[in-house]
Parts: sequence; C-alpha cells; structure tokens
Amino acid sequence: MSALLEFDDVYYRYPGQDHYALEGLSVAFPEGENIALIGRNGAGKSTLFLHCNGLYQPNSGQVRFAGHPLKYDRPSLKSLRQHIGIVFQNADDQLFSASVAQDISFGPYNLGLSETEVRRQVHMAAELCGVVDMLERPTHALSGGEKARVALAGVLAMDPDLLISDELMANLDPWGRRRIFDIFHQLRRRGKTIVLATHDLNVVRRWSTYVVVMDGGRAAFAGTPDQLLADEATLEQTGLAQVWFDEV
Amino acid sequence: MHIIDCYAYSNKIRAVDPAQKAGLAVTVLLLCLLLNRPLVSLLAVVWMWGLAVWQAGLPPLVFGRVLLAELFFLLLATVAVALSVSTIAPTNPEAWLLQIGPLWLSSTPAALYNAVNLVLRALGAASAMNFLALTTPLVDLVELMRRLRLSPILIDLMTVMYRFIFVLLDSLNRMVAAQESRLGYSSYRRGMASAGLLGSQLFIDTYRRSQRLQTALDARGYTGGDLRVLPTTYYTSRPLLAVSAVAILSLLALRLVL
Ligand SMILES: Nc1ncnc2c1ncn2[C@@H]1O[C@H](COP(=O)(O)OP(=O)(O)OP(=O)(O)O)[C@@H](O)[C@H]1O
Ligand SMILES: [Mg+2]
Repeated sequence: MSALLEFDDVYYRYPGQDHYALEGLSVAFPEGENIALIGRNGAGKSTLFLHCNGLYQPNSGQVRFAGHPLKYDRPSLKSLRQHIGIVFQNADDQLFSASVAQDISFGPYNLGLSETEVRRQVHMAAELCGVVDMLERPTHALSGGEKARVALAGVLAMDPDLLISDELMANLDPWGRRRIFDIFHQLRRRGKTIVLATHDLNVVRRWSTYVVVMDGGRAAFAGTPDQLLADEATLEQTGLAQVWFDEV
Repeated sequence: MHIIDCYAYSNKIRAVDPAQKAGLAVTVLLLCLLLNRPLVSLLAVVWMWGLAVWQAGLPPLVFGRVLLAELFFLLLATVAVALSVSTIAPTNPEAWLLQIGPLWLSSTPAALYNAVNLVLRALGAASAMNFLALTTPLVDLVELMRRLRLSPILIDLMTVMYRFIFVLLDSLNRMVAAQESRLGYSSYRRGMASAGLLGSQLFIDTYRRSQRLQTALDARGYTGGDLRVLPTTYYTSRPLLAVSAVAILSLLALRLVL
C-alpha cells in the first residue's frame, strides 16, 4: 500500500484569520482505495483539498504527490492538476459555461489536447457520468443531481488518477447518490483512487476502504473502517462515538 | 429558466448555423431602417413572425406577446412625435386641435404619418431581433462572435456573465424569499432596510463566488488566457435559406412598387 498523496506537518492559515485551518496536518492517502474523509464542520476538509493540487500553498510543511514534493511553478502545477481532479462542494461554483458539452471540454482543452481528442474525452466522461443526452443543454437548466454529474464529468474528462470530491452528494436525493456511487465503482475498476469528504457515516461503513478523520485541522485517525470502529479512544476523542452508533 | 431562453433552446431551427439566422435577422433589420416605408416594415413583421412560427415551430402567441410588449413601449415613446403641446394655438391649417385649459394639443397628418412610420419601422426591426432571440441561444451567438474574431476577452466576459445572471438570480430569489418569510418587507421602512441589506449581501456573495470560480477554473488546469471550450457544430438549412431569400426580395420589391 503505497502513499499517493502525503501531507507532512502542514500548517495553513487563511489570510486575516487568527487561527490555523490546518494545524500540523500529517496524513497519507494510499493508492487505489476508496477513501472517506470525515470530520465536523470547520475541521479543515475543504482546506485540505485545496492543498492537494496546489491551489493553496502551506505556510509551512510539505505536500507530496507520488513521493515528490509539490512544486508551485506553472508547468509543475499543470501536470499536477492533470493527475489530481477536484469536484467542489457546490457544483454552481464550478460550472461556468453556458452549455454542458462546452463546460466538460474546458479541462481537456487546458491539457493542450486537439479538438478531436477533446471531443473523445468529453464523450468518454459524459458516457461514464450518464450525461450524454444533456450535452447540448444549458447548464442553468439542470437539476442539482444533473449539475453534480456534469461537474464530475468536467473533472473526469481530464482523466485524473486521483479524484477528490468535496461532499458532492450533500444535496442529492438517494437516487442521485446511487448514480454517483455507480460512477465511483466504475472508476475503482479503472484503478483510480477516490477521496470523498462526507458527513454520511453510512458511506464510511458501506463504501470506503480507508478512512481519515479530521479534527481541528489535524488528522485524528487514518486506517480502515474496522480499525476506526475498534479504536475507542479516537471515537471518544473526536466525538464520533456520540453519533456513530445512535444516529437518530 | 427564462421564457425566451426556453424557446431559444428548444425550437426547430436551434441547430441551424447562427450565422444563417443572424444574417437573416440583421438584413431584415437593416432593410426596415433603410427602406423606411410603413408597409415594408409591416411586411417585415409578418415575415419574421411567420418564419418564427412556420420554420422554428414557435407558438404564434409567444412571438405575439413579446411583440406586444415592445409595441407598448414604442407607443409610449412615439406619443411625443404624433402630438405636440403648446400654450398658444398652432396656426397650421391642417392641424387637428384640442384645447385643454391653457394647453393646445395638436397633431397634423404629417406628424401622424411620421409617428406610425416610426412605430412600424421600430417594430419591424424589433421583430427581426425577436426572431433571432427566440431561435438562437446566447451560447450560439457568442460562438458566432468568436468566429467573427471579436475580442476573446469580451467573449469570455459574455460567457461568464450570461452564466452568472442565472446564478445571481437564483441567489437573489433565495435571499428575497428568506427576507420576506421573516417579514422583511412588511412596511416601507423595513422594505428599504431589507433591500439595502440585500444589495450589499448580493455584492459580497458575488465576490465570494467569483473567487470560488477562479479556484475551480485553476483546479481544471486553467493558466490564464482565453477560456477555451468546444465549438458547437451547426448545419445550414436550405429551406430556411430559400425562404430567407424570398422574404428579403419581397421587402425590396414592395419598396420598388410603392
Ligand atoms: N475562505 C475562508 N476565509 C477564512 N477562513 C476560512 C475560509 N474557508 C474556511 N475557513 C476557516 O478554515 C477552517 C476550516 O474550514 P474548512 O472549510 O476547511 O472546513 P470543512 O471541514 O470543509 O467544513 P465543512 O464540513 O463545513 O465543509 C474553519 O475554521 C473556517 O472558518
Ligand atoms: Mg468543506
């Protein structure tokens, strides 16, 4: 089990804030797993994600991808962002184009692909995410679930090795979630690594093969769901014990 | 979704090359303005309305309602051309007069003709634009501008603005609903205060959103420069081309016989 992405004692503070959003975060995300990232609101999950492909730079500490420390010059960032795709918490923040096909084509074009290759990638991603029949539709006429899948397709069209998804499912109905998980299962078969921030403990139990628990800007736990369930000290300390067993 | 947008996306000639539709609309618009005859303008209205229904399959009433709204504004604006108001009685023997207190309301056949001509001319031009707006979504028009080599910055701005009009409308609706349900508009004073809050909140919201958009674009490998996306593929409609030619020729012919 080799680490695809590692954080090593990372500190990060938002400009103008007096507390650290990431406070000595050290954690490794193993390759080829379904990774669930859990933690209370404000624990630092989204902030962690923004460090993954160099969108934010740590105040101190190091982020490593496939063993190499991230470099923050343009060419390095470009190749990094090809390998690591992020789907954001709110799909509306990500969809900027007026038509679905155009939005999905944005990433592949940034990779410098030709129009033929871009079309192929767009089609591949649309197929995978079940949005082929809405390619010509305007982005603003989509439902929440459709937007989520289009946003996902926009990232998958770049064919990343690591897919990071920040609570993609938060606004979706059970059927919408089901479709997203179907997509995730297909990605798994293609050997992709997936990190999913979630507040749904069912997802942790049923889908994930690896769990990272964030607490106050630090990783309080990293391991398999079974290990987490057995680790009473961590469950107690992160407050998970209160919610895990007796959710109303 | 906005009603005009709805039809623009779902009409029968949606996939026809925007250049073809814009070409027709702009030609008709120019003919209305240049030929400057009431009957020519009227024929232009008939053609554009007819083509929107016949070629694009729009419900006749939709086109009619848009046109009616425009007509209303046009009539308001041309009242001043048809009527003149003065404090002394006009001496023109052709004038129709009406005295209201100290004021003389007057009009002449020439002024009336001018007003009617102006309304019809503007209506003809407007119906040409309606035809375009109801059959061609903005995405396609932007694509057309891209082909015409308009400034890429301008085109990107239009793309993003068009997208964010809907996002902002959405925020606006949600905020107003939240304020209303807490009685934010229960009195004039509260209403003003709420509207002020709404404005500033919307500004902050927009700013945050633009930052998140930037982050999301960066995450997909954007390194500055144009926002490149797939061009759409269109087809040329021969039937539409043929009737367009007939329409344009008929306008010219009508001008010649008048
Ligand atoms: N744009 C920002 N400016 C200033 N502070 C921020 C910003 N975004 C987040 N923070 C702060 O950083 C900390 C971590 O926030 P983050 O968004 O990473 O949490 P999260 O785990 O994603 O929470 P959630 O589950 O609510 O999405 C919080 O204390 C938050 O207040
Ligand atoms: Mg978050």
